[in-house]
Amino acid sequence: MAASLRWQRVFERHLLIVTGKGGTGRSALSAALAIKAARQGQRVLAVAMTDVLGLALHLGVTQLHYEPQQTRPGVWALAIDRTAALDEYIHLQLHLPRAAPLKPVARTFSALADTVPGIRDAVTVGKISWESWSDDWDLIVADGPPLGQIDSYLKAPASIAALVPSGRVQEQATRMAELLADPDESGLVVTTLAEELPVIETNEHLAQIDEERTCQLATLIVNGLLPSLDAEAPDDPGPLRDSAVLHHQLHQGQQRWLGELPDGIQLPYLFGMLTPTEVAARLADELP
Amino acid sequence: MTRTILVAGSGGVGKTTLSAALGVAAARAGGQVLVLTVDPAKRLADALGMVQLGNLPTATTQKGLSAAMLDSSAAWDALVDRHAPPDVAERLHESPYFRAIADRFPAGQSYAACEQMADHIDERTWDVVIVDTPPAGGGIDFFQAPGRVRRLVGGRLLRWLTGASLPGRRRLYSFTARPALRLADAIVGGPLLEEVAEFLLDLRSLYDGVSRRARQIDRQLKRAKTVVVTTAHPSPLVEAARFFTELPETAGLPTSVVFNRALPAEWASPTVAGSGVLADNLKRWGAESQRQLDARSAFAAQHGIEPAVVPWMADAPTSISELGELVESAQGLDLTALGISS
Repeated sequence: MAASLRWQRVFERHLLIVTGKGGTGRSALSAALAIKAARQGQRVLAVAMTDVLGLALHLGVTQLHYEPQQTRPGVWALAIDRTAALDEYIHLQLHLPRAAPLKPVARTFSALADTVPGIRDAVTVGKISWESWSDDWDLIVADGPPLGQIDSYLKAPASIAALVPSGRVQEQATRMAELLADPDESGLVVTTLAEELPVIETNEHLAQIDEERTCQLATLIVNGLLPSLDAEAPDDPGPLRDSAVLHHQLHQGQQRWLGELPDGIQLPYLFGMLTPTEVAARLADELP
Repeated sequence: MTRTILVAGSGGVGKTTLSAALGVAAARAGGQVLVLTVDPAKRLADALGMVQLGNLPTATTQKGLSAAMLDSSAAWDALVDRHAPPDVAERLHESPYFRAIADRFPAGQSYAACEQMADHIDERTWDVVIVDTPPAGGGIDFFQAPGRVRRLVGGRLLRWLTGASLPGRRRLYSFTARPALRLADAIVGGPLLEEVAEFLLDLRSLYDGVSRRARQIDRQLKRAKTVVVTTAHPSPLVEAARFFTELPETAGLPTSVVFNRALPAEWASPTVAGSGVLADNLKRWGAESQRQLDARSAFAAQHGIEPAVVPWMADAPTSISELGELVESAQGLDLTALGISS
């Protein structure tokens, strides 16, 4: 499917999970996607799945909490706190009877989550799922883990469902896995740069995503592309020449690696003087 | 004694290349030097004159410099073979929980890298060991991994499940008699808790070995010099700052901070006469250079350290001599403070 066609459908989904190799702009893009959707009139929840600070800074707040807070018109944000998510899971999602000794159960689950890593990942994915099932939001944008870890998060509900023989936990986990796998409901946004290592790692993971179908690709976003410079570097030594030479070299390298990637949405390099909030707003402007 | 240099920072800032470049500089200063990298970058192996990087130290074309990969995939199995009795080791190798921990426990891969680093330091054949640390958790995971793994193996859950410090296997089967656990067991719909408890009991047998090893590693991390690598972009900068606010518990403050991909400072205030495409190009790069300068001085003011600066090179080094030039072109990088000196 062509990138432009894919892109038209991106905001029709209810859940977007943003992932990418470290340093390719995951949190900036998560914030930008949330801002863009809000500008189109959607009520958006941005969720920090693993790294809290990055998303907070790009949304212009100093901290995020488990309770959603409004960061700008149309955009609310929260950070997943594993203990709080477990608590919510036990109280609200498993519908435990009131008389149940919740505290010891909670402690057991918390300790279990440290030991059976699928539980920790599943509870994180679970929180996103519950929010997406609620009527509060038109769109959830999750600032996800790096590309190297995304697979274990996406597979967690299915592996919990397989590990736990029956019961409410099993039902919940199966429902989460179905949500992730439904391309009309959920999709992955993969960010990358047109550089050697990000391109190689991205292509490996795109092939894996395509093969496993635990959650399908919504769009690929190539970040930080330099414009072409339509002038030769002058002969006279000095900054004018050096900056032109550097630009040409970087641009050539990017174009070469861009050619190795499948079709994606291309975003420009942002020159100079930008705070994280400005970066997010500018990227939202630049999204098609 | 082996001097250790840890090159840390978030992903994509150029740690691997800088580690190799420091390795070249250290080898040229004399002595036997080992560079350990997590990244199987083929280009780097090429630059070091190697066909490919393997798990065993292999000589590069630079005299005195060897390199090896940190391969975490096999490290947990090695950990079990080393620290557990044979019958327990066999059960652990087969356990799905063990696989899950080896693959997914956040500190797992970092700890595996720590163990391998410690093994190489213990070989006592190296004067300098340079570690290109895994970027997990912005790079800081590496320093916290030994403690986390010790706590995991120490069996907080096991103690909780059984209500005893270290029960015999027989007591395990009665643990669901406790009401809270009976409820938990009903929720997960089966014998999961019991299976997990059995697994933890096996894992517990690693405790003494892992605990001793983790304390050794902690001491090695404390003695090591840390170089934090960053670019002037907001996200890596936030991670770099954490090495000053969160690190002191597990290791000393960083010896050096390196701002990679730096533009010439003189571009920041260009006196460009006229206009045109080239002048506009210099202006936008000048704005970028100014942002970098601002980011560096803000970092210096906040953390009381004068950052070293490595110029932005469009092409990564492709040879030993280019790696050597990278260190020479670095401004303000105090090699003596890192223990590299001739």
